Amino acid sequence: MAAALSGVLLYLGLGLLGFVGAPRAFSLVALLGGATTFALWAPGFPEVLVGGLPWGIAVAGDTWTVGLWALGLVLHATLLVHAWAKDSAFHPLTTVLIGTCLAGALSRDLFNLYVLMDLSSLIALVLIASGRRVRAVWAGLQYLVLTEVGLTLYLFGLGLVYGRLGTLSVSALAERGPNLSDPALAVGVGLLLAGTAVKTGVFLLGLWLPQAHGQAPTEVSVLLSGIVVKIGVVTLARLAEAFPVGTVLLFLGVLTGFGGLLYALWEKDLKVFLGFHTVSQLGYMLIGLGLGAGTGALLYAVAHGLFKGLLFLAAGEAVERTGQRQIAFLTGRLSLPLAVGLGVGACAIAGLPPLAGFAAKGVLALGAPGWAKGAFFALGLGTAASFSKLVPLLRPRERGPAGGLPVLAAAVVALGVAGTVLAGDLLAPRAWGEAILVVGLGYGLYHGLSRVRPGLPRWGFDWSVVSLLGASVGVAGLVAFGGL
Amino acid sequence: MEGLAAVALAIALVGVGFWTLIVRRNLIWKLLGLNVGASGAILFLVALAHRPGARPPIVGLGPGPSADPLPHALVLTAIVIDFATLALALVYVIFLTEHRHTQDVERLERDEERGWPQP
Repeated sequence: MAAALSGVLLYLGLGLLGFVGAPRAFSLVALLGGATTFALWAPGFPEVLVGGLPWGIAVAGDTWTVGLWALGLVLHATLLVHAWAKDSAFHPLTTVLIGTCLAGALSRDLFNLYVLMDLSSLIALVLIASGRRVRAVWAGLQYLVLTEVGLTLYLFGLGLVYGRLGTLSVSALAERGPNLSDPALAVGVGLLLAGTAVKTGVFLLGLWLPQAHGQAPTEVSVLLSGIVVKIGVVTLARLAEAFPVGTVLLFLGVLTGFGGLLYALWEKDLKVFLGFHTVSQLGYMLIGLGLGAGTGALLYAVAHGLFKGLLFLAAGEAVERTGQRQIAFLTGRLSLPLAVGLGVGACAIAGLPPLAGFAAKGVLALGAPGWAKGAFFALGLGTAASFSKLVPLLRPRERGPAGGLPVLAAAVVALGVAGTVLAGDLLAPRAWGEAILVVGLGYGLYHGLSRVRPGLPRWGFDWSVVSLLGASVGVAGLVAFGGL
Repeated sequence: MEGLAAVALAIALVGVGFWTLIVRRNLIWKLLGLNVGASGAILFLVALAHRPGARPPIVGLGPGPSADPLPHALVLTAIVIDFATLALALVYVIFLTEHRHTQDVERLERDEERGWPQP
């Protein structure tokens, strides 16, 4: 426990020191210190109350903590390699942001999670706007306002839950076996869920996410999709542990998965396209959480952090070097490392064996009921179809610098192979055949869909806030209705 | 009764705040509305700490029941966060005003659709 907390303190402290001077050195020391403390507590530790008082803040090192720490450290190492020459404010901000996410993974207290989610949004806004481009600032400002609305609802839910049950610790709440037929408690839980869903970028509650992730500078997109989204996923996992909200999460997961996919299929801007896929992939994690398959959801969260980081890194570099954002204009203009990185990432997200996406999808589907397997199949088909758009980009033009791409590509392959071997069932030829069949069918579906041009609804800022509030009321109602 | 009145006031504050956030076109008004809404959430937490006939939770105020100190501690953090959010958001409104010469959300959205022409 002491090791984990000192790791977080190292990250936050060294990140702040980096603003004074020597930003890269402090960032590197934080990474080394974080890795050392991680090795010290790695197998995990049981829940402890920091401060020792009965209302102390609960922290624990469970599987979610281990997974997210590993993800955060790998992403930090990648960005250090990739963006070593970046300006002075980038490294301290990255260090503090990763420290925040590490702390979020440790925390098992609803208020602490609120503070850390809010802190991560604030730092993320500074990073999104750091390119000083008008579109990025505008996307970031909308991101901040919508997140804050969500977190205000979260605070209300927090108050209701505390007023009813008198505690905010996840384990204590789970022990008390909350009864959701109490309307005040059900509304409270619904607001907690809705607020976290907004922050995480669950579909309809968060059409801001693709724009904010797509308009941010390259390295920042990697961080946002890689780990900032995951702090919301952890909070949802903690809420699912404390309250019986599985059905609502399943509903949100299906909506998120297919909604994000629908927009991604016809998106032409490369980075915004990847942002829509972050939304769609959240669907897998939410369905996993709703089914009670914690390990599968966690593996998916880590795998998604790695392969989406790789995709955003390669795509962002391509966009920055050519000055083109549209997928069609990028054909044949990528250098060799970028094309390889994009290819590995696309194969991983489509679920080709033995990459990380294949292992995560396999573990998630292991204990799933039939309808969930059908949903996963349809989602996989759509993902493969929409990523078929990138196939023309994979023809490289020349050699070029690789930056941090090899680190992430190696991590994607390593996690995939380890997951495939450890899960046992995934080594069977049938599993491999099915995965390849889905990708093949998806590629065919892409050509079938290429003539269809539906007009998908898009709405402005005000309607986002209205739809967000409406959807939150809906989620709260759903929880209350489920409890009755 | 004071507790209930405070809860009602908190909900009214959130209503007014979010209404301003949705209806006003000016970004600064929107941010102020957001902040008023957030204050509503803070007042709500404070109101929950209330108990009939309770004293403030300060050591040395004498015997008798005291209000629940935990929400008060939480609220301090929430106030600091709201302040930081508002300050940071206003910095970016200044940036947008300098570069686009407007704080009107509808004009910004129109510019976004047209690919940000020179103002």
